[in-house]
Amino acid sequence: MTARGQDIVLGVLFAGLGLAAAWQAMGYRGASGTYPLVLGLGLATLGLLLALRSLWSGARVPRPLVDHPRHVAVTVVVGAGYLALVPVLGFYAASALVALVLPAALGFRRPVFALLAAAGFMVVVWLVFTGLLAKPLPTGFWSRW
Amino acid sequence: MELLTQIAGSVLSLGSVAAMLGASLLGVLIGALPGLNPVMAIALLLPLTYSMEPLIALGMVAGIYNGSMYGGAIPAILMRIPGTPAAIATTFDGFPMTQRGEAARALKIACWSSAIGGTASALALMTIGPLLARATLHFGPAEYFWIAMFGMASIGVLVGDDALKGLMAAVLGLLLGTVGLDNLSGIPRFTFGEPWLLSGLDLIVILVGLYALPPVIALAEQADLKGLSAAALKLGRARLGWAEIRGMVPTWMRSSFIGIGVGILPGAGGNIAAFLSYSAAKSASKDPDSFGKGNPQGVAAAECGNNADNAASMIPALALGIPGNVVAALVLGALLIHGLQPGPQLFHQNPALVGGFMAQMLITSLLILLVGGAAATRVFAQVQRLPGVLLVPMILVLMAVGVYVINGRVVDLWVMFAAGLAGYLLEKLSFPLAPVVLGLILGPMAEQSVRRALLISRGDATELLTRPISAVIAVATLGLILWPLLRAFQRRRRAAARD
Repeated sequence: MTARGQDIVLGVLFAGLGLAAAWQAMGYRGASGTYPLVLGLGLATLGLLLALRSLWSGARVPRPLVDHPRHVAVTVVVGAGYLALVPVLGFYAASALVALVLPAALGFRRPVFALLAAAGFMVVVWLVFTGLLAKPLPTGFWSRW
Repeated sequence: MELLTQIAGSVLSLGSVAAMLGASLLGVLIGALPGLNPVMAIALLLPLTYSMEPLIALGMVAGIYNGSMYGGAIPAILMRIPGTPAAIATTFDGFPMTQRGEAARALKIACWSSAIGGTASALALMTIGPLLARATLHFGPAEYFWIAMFGMASIGVLVGDDALKGLMAAVLGLLLGTVGLDNLSGIPRFTFGEPWLLSGLDLIVILVGLYALPPVIALAEQADLKGLSAAALKLGRARLGWAEIRGMVPTWMRSSFIGIGVGILPGAGGNIAAFLSYSAAKSASKDPDSFGKGNPQGVAAAECGNNADNAASMIPALALGIPGNVVAALVLGALLIHGLQPGPQLFHQNPALVGGFMAQMLITSLLILLVGGAAATRVFAQVQRLPGVLLVPMILVLMAVGVYVINGRVVDLWVMFAAGLAGYLLEKLSFPLAPVVLGLILGPMAEQSVRRALLISRGDATELLTRPISAVIAVATLGLILWPLLRAFQRRRRAAARD
């Protein structure tokens, strides 16, 4: 999509977001609603201005949103999977897993190096968060053991 | 005198010194890794500082900031890859010096110049900051409201390439700042029945997402599988003679002034200070043609300029609550999480804390000479042998752990992730993120100020404009918003006249 097309979509999205916020704010009593109402209308106006400006004089040049779609997709999917696994496996197990899986998924083919780096990193995380700062981190199903 | 003793006692305590030293080392390490930047590092650090003493937390912020601004020079000089955006100008002469076999000398000049620029900047913060705070002591709610609006408008208009998108980002930030219980009436807003939203969107969760995830995705896109070879990072020995140091004094003085001036201006950053300092050094040189071909004065100007921006950007942040750049916005965030409201009152209610932080900015500038010395630089250069793909999951884990420990909620991890993905896409669409953060920080203050002003005036909105100072700031804010429109209009007229 061209920069012009992207900016039109962005402007319309923000105008919609602003209008939705203003609509929601109308339900709040008194001054509690006035401030977000004004902001919502302001955002809608600026969004419309952006869409109109792009429609009128936007640059018709390609602007890629992602340079390497495969790498971005892998990182986002593995990252989301990691967050989903944290409550199940616990922080340390899920973190060790992502530290091994993500480099491999991005093409890193030196398993011993990756394993040593992941182990060293996890020791540092454990020392800092559990040893030094004494922060309780979820342990997932390991807590049953 | 009593205050000075108190400040010295707290800043030179074991915890504070350890925090400054450790964070300075970490800062140089982060700056030396291309792809990582001080904003990201401080955003990752903030969640960990919740339970710390404020001065220890701020000492760490100061150390990381000053350290990473020097660290950015290491890959800029050795590989022509700026470790931070502010080190771009350092590559111009730093890398040609490396090609001539003078890498160690260039790094030494960068180290001294960074320390001198940072020290000058900290001294400016210590002198100008309290004066500005005293001048604004008599501000009422109307003035505070307009100061918040001025800060929003300046960051919105001056940061990024597109003023309209900057203003949209600012309004979005202000709107996000209204999520949660209304402080004055207790009415929940935009919470959609979710109890975790009642306390509003957590600033640090959003900050970590917005500023740490986009660089992580960018690192993954590069998919660096090898890192640098040891041979590429071999450094010789170098000594700077007194004659050479004396020759750099005018450059250091000029660059310090430029960096401080740029730092005070909201919206301008270290990269602008470095470019302006570099240009000024080139203009003042008797041999301008040697710039870009390995002139040590070029390295000195760029590094001194970008470090002179550091503490100066805290002047409007601490005195007015308006951050000069994103790091200053993060410092405001650090103050807020410790229950301290930035602005003129901060200087009067917590003089020991503000004085202590200013002293920490000074000490961490000088610490660069210690942690950025020849031996340390050799060690830090080695981190560039680590393949970039290994850093991707490590930063992801640090983000997740840091965010989780704030409230102990898994939902925060998803908020952080969503904010990060949105930030990544918005940056690609040339949508600046700094105004969003500033809106989140200044939004509650702006709303409370305007509502208090209207309560005092019994609903008379003209009160916001009829007080002399508030009227001046309001006109300045309006001028700032209209300025890009006027420029566009002028450009169009000139183009029409040419045709």
